Amino acid sequence: MTEGGGRRERILDLLVGRGEVGFGTKRLCQVCAEATAVSGAGIMLMSGDAPYGSLCTANEMSDLIEQLQYALGEGPCVDAYRQDYPVLEPDLAQPSTLRWLAFAPPAIAAGVRAVFGFPLQVGSVRLGALNLCRDRPGPLSDDQHADALVMASIAAQAVLVLQTGAGPEGLASELEAGADFHYVVHQASGMVAAQLEVSVGQALVRLRAYAFGNDRHLTEVANDVVARELRFDAASGERDLVP
Amino acid sequence: MANADVIGGPAPREALLARTLVELAETLVADFDVVELLTRLADRCVEVLGVGAAGLMLAGPDGQLKVMASSSEAMRVLELFELQAKEGPCLDCYHSGKPVMQADLATPTTRWPRFAAETLAAGFRSVQALPMRLRGTVIGALNLFHAEAGEMPPADIESAQALADVATIAILAHRASLEAQVVNQQLQHALNSRIVIEQAKGMVAERAGLNMELAFTALRTYARDHNLRLVDVARSVIDGALAPSAFGSVPRGGPAQEKDA
Repeated sequence: MTEGGGRRERILDLLVGRGEVGFGTKRLCQVCAEATAVSGAGIMLMSGDAPYGSLCTANEMSDLIEQLQYALGEGPCVDAYRQDYPVLEPDLAQPSTLRWLAFAPPAIAAGVRAVFGFPLQVGSVRLGALNLCRDRPGPLSDDQHADALVMASIAAQAVLVLQTGAGPEGLASELEAGADFHYVVHQASGMVAAQLEVSVGQALVRLRAYAFGNDRHLTEVANDVVARELRFDAASGERDLVP
Repeated sequence: MANADVIGGPAPREALLARTLVELAETLVADFDVVELLTRLADRCVEVLGVGAAGLMLAGPDGQLKVMASSSEAMRVLELFELQAKEGPCLDCYHSGKPVMQADLATPTTRWPRFAAETLAAGFRSVQALPMRLRGTVIGALNLFHAEAGEMPPADIESAQALADVATIAILAHRASLEAQVVNQQLQHALNSRIVIEQAKGMVAERAGLNMELAFTALRTYARDHNLRLVDVARSVIDGALAPSAFGSVPRGGPAQEKDA
């Protein structure tokens, strides 16, 4: 018990710099990667069954892990959130269970060898998931695992504390500034919906399919649409021929 | 209800106490009903401690103590709890955060004249109130009634306090979870509204040939002019209920201002 309390204090010490009162959301992932001594860490926010935003990522590798899960809707965070339980894949190239058929190949290609997902929750409330990744295979040590659980708990509390400060209608300014909610994807969905005369939901499916088919990030494709460099109607040949 | 004969020796009773503590601790990990938990606790106090009646009182948001659970549904017992919103060991215990004991209510007492009289009339001679507290927070009290006069053995008081402590932790965890649920719902709601607005910006931008900033201005102006909420206007755009032509001029096209719509 005292050991667990000490762990939490040690991590909070890392989070809150000397002479500071609080910590920014960006620091969460940085400290998480440092504290658990892995290659990267990221925190995804989720709702329903899907990721809707990224609270922070520690580096490019964890950014990719989040991008892939955001675009594909599968991966360690998505599973950890859905199952309400940590999801551990110590060897992405030779997984014990066959899963993440779309997520695994690009992750491996980018040098990721092991991924771990931990749900962000307070009581029965689930907010998202923390992911850790590493450039070599192998399980987390007991210490790393315990640190990750504490980090996930701190991150969940932090999100709620930040949002408590906002009004019932708005989004906390720290979240608005610190987190990435991929707004450009929703803007692009609106544009593609108008181009194809379909619903925004269908438009998002088209954007995802295009990104997957062309081996690109969903946000990159969305940026191109918003910059009017990519169209989905007749002009670009992307038009769906079936009415 | 009082089944003092059950206490044959220390072993079965300790086992029962341990099982009760585990049972209460298990509720911490799942959603649970607070009243059900407290009723179970009151029943277990009667079984484990061999008291005549047990009840739990929690303070409401207004600071008033309310009966949350009782081992007995008998009116005369329930009234003893209700009375303590005004006077009695539970009220004193709640205010002081310390155990309050009265070994014999038949001895003349000035502390709670009405409570003492009614308790004796209900067939009880001694009473204890133990605080439900975690660190600085007192949330209520556990109340025990005995048919006999006399001090409660220290070991029994410790056991009762342990039961009260586990219940307190469960209740506080439950409250934190409820608060978290409310905040999380607000967060989801705020994000959903925001997403709808971004989607509508995209549609207006595409249809009216505007950039995102101008599309947003057009949506906001429309909402203000028509005294509507921005998110409702955005939803109408996405549903197709509101035509893009409603959003001012298309820069390349002719004049399409319809301010007086």
